[in-house]
Amino acid sequence: MAGRGKLIAGTVTGFLLGGIGELNKNRHPNFLVVEKDTIINEIEDTFRQFLHRDDIGIILINQHIAEMVRHALDAHQHSIPAVLEIPSKEHLYDATKDSILRRARGMFTAEDLC
Amino acid sequence: MAAPDLRAELDSLLLQLLGDLEELEGKRAVLNTRVEEGWLSLAKARYAMGAKSVGPLQYASHMEPQVCLHTSEAQEGLQKFKVVRAGVHTPEEVGPGEAALRRRKGPAKTPEPQSSEAPQDPLNWFGILVPHSLRQAQASFRDGLQLAADIASLQNRIDWGRNQIRGLQKKLKQLEPGAA
Repeated sequence: MAGRGKLIAGTVTGFLLGGIGELNKNRHPNFLVVEKDTIINEIEDTFRQFLHRDDIGIILINQHIAEMVRHALDAHQHSIPAVLEIPSKEHLYDATKDSILRRARGMFTAEDLC
Repeated sequence: MAAPDLRAELDSLLLQLLGDLEELEGKRAVLNTRVEEGWLSLAKARYAMGAKSVGPLQYASHMEPQVCLHTSEAQEGLQKFKVVRAGVHTPEEVGPGEAALRRRKGPAKTPEPQSSEAPQDPLNWFGILVPHSLRQAQASFRDGLQLAADIASLQNRIDWGRNQIRGLQKKLKQLEPGAA
């Protein structure tokens, strides 16, 4: 648990190196580094803020962080911003947990195929 | 629309959906690989520069994105994403006369500098001479960004296809309520 902040920071640092970071004195940052003492409410509030910003098209979120706010992800039905779950170092990507794939998998029931 | 036509369209959409799911799985595997490569390169960079030399402590206090997302609507409700390099603003041209006037007025009302330069490369946050592993990490995550845009487009197409299929299934049930 103590190293969890470092693991998330690695993913955020990597994508910021890719050039997607935005931060200036007038606007809120377009990223959040989840530390070991970051509370779930803060994650959820930040996620909802990103959903409502008109300058964000895709939200990248580590899947085990997405699990903490799964209800907020499942409630998001709009095409923009798109939400993309990505693995973290200690938590491999699990397709069974992905909101998008769960919705798609739910189509292939006996009732739906009749 | 007659039931056979609806069934044909439904089959077509289902096949498209299955194809999209297969493509999504493939792109996800590549994205995960790129991200893992990026982590490994970052770890190598930390080994070379020091554990605390590559992390949030080095983030700039002012960041401008080097890449942006371009969205387009292929069909109604179907969004497609593409990563493009952020536009480079042309420098504001100030003639010699204007510059002299500004100097005469003094620094009291200095206009706020416009963002006229290209966005700074985030590699510069970590020093002038950065190890090759950090550049490799940047390349891996840049590849990952384009893949992320492709995956997001596919996810939207899957959601869109799912909604289309549900709509057609409802119509079909109305036309053939007794069908098994």
